[in-house]
Amino acid sequence: MFANNSCEKKGAGIMATRLVFLSLVCGAVSVSVGEHLTTSEVPPKRPYFVDCRSPEQETFSCWWSAGDYQNLTGPGALSVFFQKNRDVWRECPDYSTAGENHCYFNSTYTSIWIPYCVQLRSQIQDIVYHQMCFTVDEIVVPDPPVGLNWTLLNISQTGQHFDILIQWEPPPSADVKKGWISLVYEPQYRAINMSDWKPLEVERACYQSVYGLKTGMEYEIRVRCKQAASEKFSEFSEHLYVYIPKVPTKETLFPFTMILIFGAVGVIIVLMLIIFSQQQRLMVYFLPPVPVPKIMGIDPELLKKGKLDELNSILSGHHTFKPELYNDDLWVEFIELDIDDQDGRSHHSDTHKLLGSENLNGNCLNIKDDDSGRASCYEPELPDSDMLDRSQAEAREEKASLLDSEGRAAHSSTTDPSPPGRSHPGATAEGASRSHPQIQSQLSSQSWVNLDFYAQVSNITPAGGVLLSPGQQSKIEKTAEAHSSPKTQKCQLAMTTDSAYTSEMDAKNISATPSLNGNEPKVIVSPYTVSEAPASSVPPVSDYTTVQAVDSQQSLLLNPSTLPTKGTPMPAGYLTPEQLNSIMP
Amino acid sequence: MSEAYPGLVLLLVLQVCAWVLLLWRCWGVLGYPLDCKDEQGSIISCTSISLEKLLDRVIQHAELIYHVSEESCTLFEEMFVPVSMHTQQNRARNTCITKAFPIPGSKSEIQKISDKWLLHSVLMLVQSWIEPLVYLQKTLDRYDDAADTILNKTKWVTNKLSSLEQGIVELIRKMLDEGLLAVEHQQTLTRFDAQPEVVESILRDYAVLTCFKKDAHKMEVFLKLLKCRHTDKMSCYIS
Repeated sequence: MFANNSCEKKGAGIMATRLVFLSLVCGAVSVSVGEHLTTSEVPPKRPYFVDCRSPEQETFSCWWSAGDYQNLTGPGALSVFFQKNRDVWRECPDYSTAGENHCYFNSTYTSIWIPYCVQLRSQIQDIVYHQMCFTVDEIVVPDPPVGLNWTLLNISQTGQHFDILIQWEPPPSADVKKGWISLVYEPQYRAINMSDWKPLEVERACYQSVYGLKTGMEYEIRVRCKQAASEKFSEFSEHLYVYIPKVPTKETLFPFTMILIFGAVGVIIVLMLIIFSQQQRLMVYFLPPVPVPKIMGIDPELLKKGKLDELNSILSGHHTFKPELYNDDLWVEFIELDIDDQDGRSHHSDTHKLLGSENLNGNCLNIKDDDSGRASCYEPELPDSDMLDRSQAEAREEKASLLDSEGRAAHSSTTDPSPPGRSHPGATAEGASRSHPQIQSQLSSQSWVNLDFYAQVSNITPAGGVLLSPGQQSKIEKTAEAHSSPKTQKCQLAMTTDSAYTSEMDAKNISATPSLNGNEPKVIVSPYTVSEAPASSVPPVSDYTTVQAVDSQQSLLLNPSTLPTKGTPMPAGYLTPEQLNSIMP
Repeated sequence: MSEAYPGLVLLLVLQVCAWVLLLWRCWGVLGYPLDCKDEQGSIISCTSISLEKLLDRVIQHAELIYHVSEESCTLFEEMFVPVSMHTQQNRARNTCITKAFPIPGSKSEIQKISDKWLLHSVLMLVQSWIEPLVYLQKTLDRYDDAADTILNKTKWVTNKLSSLEQGIVELIRKMLDEGLLAVEHQQTLTRFDAQPEVVESILRDYAVLTCFKKDAHKMEVFLKLLKCRHTDKMSCYIS
């Protein structure tokens, strides 16, 4: 009881406080609301026209919103009045056709290019909430196009892309056919999973091509239209879905072929690079250089101008080399030299000549040896050398032939490793004492057929006649090689083979040397001269002899002939026909 | 020099090609050249043109004029008209003075108009706008260089209007067998007499452009209706 009273009292107190609290709160709220309402600048939004629109330029409709005035939302709360061409204000003819809050003007009320004004008024018609003025051609917003369809134009060769042609119909409400309204269209497309629409060209035509779509992907297409000069587009049409499945075979083959092609091209490029970079090596490998005709022992550098001397020396070393260089002029000059030297002819003068500054020795020694072992001391002339060279060469030849004779004389003593005869006149003397048959054997000659200046003496008659026979040169060469020292051998052989002839001087010299030493006479044979070889005495050398007989083996028997009368001057090396007649018996 | 000669020739050829390409694109804008063929299809000298082709060309002209006038209007509005006046209300306030004889606006009424009246209406419209456009060019000169594009467009439109006028005259002669001896330029009422202030002059020019745009649209629609009637008479009269 007591507790109840206290509870009641407490409850009442609590209730009171609660009420006070609530009232305070309510008051505060109301005050704040009131303050808010009174102090804010924003009035309640009045009813207003949202927009007016004509879909086909034949009718139009306007719709409004009540704004914040919620009590005016119901039908009939607001009224619309319109004024056509600044005429009288009339009320909206149709509130219902277009829907709630819409005022619809049919074609009888619609005139194009004529200014309209509409007003939103309260029902009592004394408050104008909103007014709007326009001309119908400005508010044309057409309906969306209809009847979208597509046809396939083509598929690319790879099967990855395709092109289509999309077509549509103008909105049925728009009287495009009569030309009352002109529309332009804008199609758009996108892949299903993409978010951005891709617009295509805005065109008057009711069709358009879309290129470059991918197979295996689904696409969406939509179209919208607008009046040509207007900026307001219609709503979008219904979406059209396009899909073409991928063609698997083409797709799988295509990359392989492309890889093959590119791989082949790459390989070709690499090969070309290799070939061009290693061009020289490959040329050598595949097309080895043709061996240039090479003469052993001759450096091609020597063939260059200015090195004729060395070349001559080398070339003369080849036994097969036939110097075709001795033309008649050389022979003449050779003879001339003989004439010059006739007076001063002596063994010593010859040797002096031999030991002259021309360094034949040096040439001989310095000759590069090659495999054939036929270096030559002898320097045959080349045809293109000038006269000076020729004369020099002649002099050398002369001396070489002298050397040859001396060398041969030296060679005759096989047992004696004599020094080369060219440097020692003593050797010459020694050589003079050689045996007769050896000399004979050394006097190698080539066959008459070769027209060399030497023929082999095969026999000497007691009367002094000489029997010449051809073709035993090689044998003698071999014997000569076997017996002599290499260098002397070379010299001798060179003298033997390559020398065209010996001079008379040489012949006389050779013949004279035995006289010094009191040896048997030697016989040196040349095609032009023959010296008699008497057994005991040195016969006077005569220039010519007669051929007495010709053997079956083509051997010539030569008779010693008497010297012509001393009074007659001997021509240089050849006889005039008169002299010949005088000589011949 | 002889070495540079082939280069010069090539350059010249390229130039010509470039110009041809440029002009080719413009041909669509300027209109296709007259293709004078008679019924057999052989090309004859352009002494006469068929009715269909004439009508097509006239419609082409009208479309272009409307398109360019709409561009000029938009440009002018962006450049010179204050933002506060961009609403449609203000556009409509600048009412265009109606012509001597009122042209009905509703489609049904227009469809009832005869060919003769349609043609004459168009001719009258064309003729009534040549002078105001010339006047507009003069006023646009007073603006700064920003109005050059609008000025150029206006000049172009004026030229096209004259040729459109000729076309309409010819069309009248062919379709209606009427011969207009002289082109009568009706003196239009000078709509804007008073010496304006700056803002008013802007609004005035804007009004001129807007009104011209409307009339250009009218011309285009009339001519298209005319063409429909010419090609397919039965369906065109059904509204």
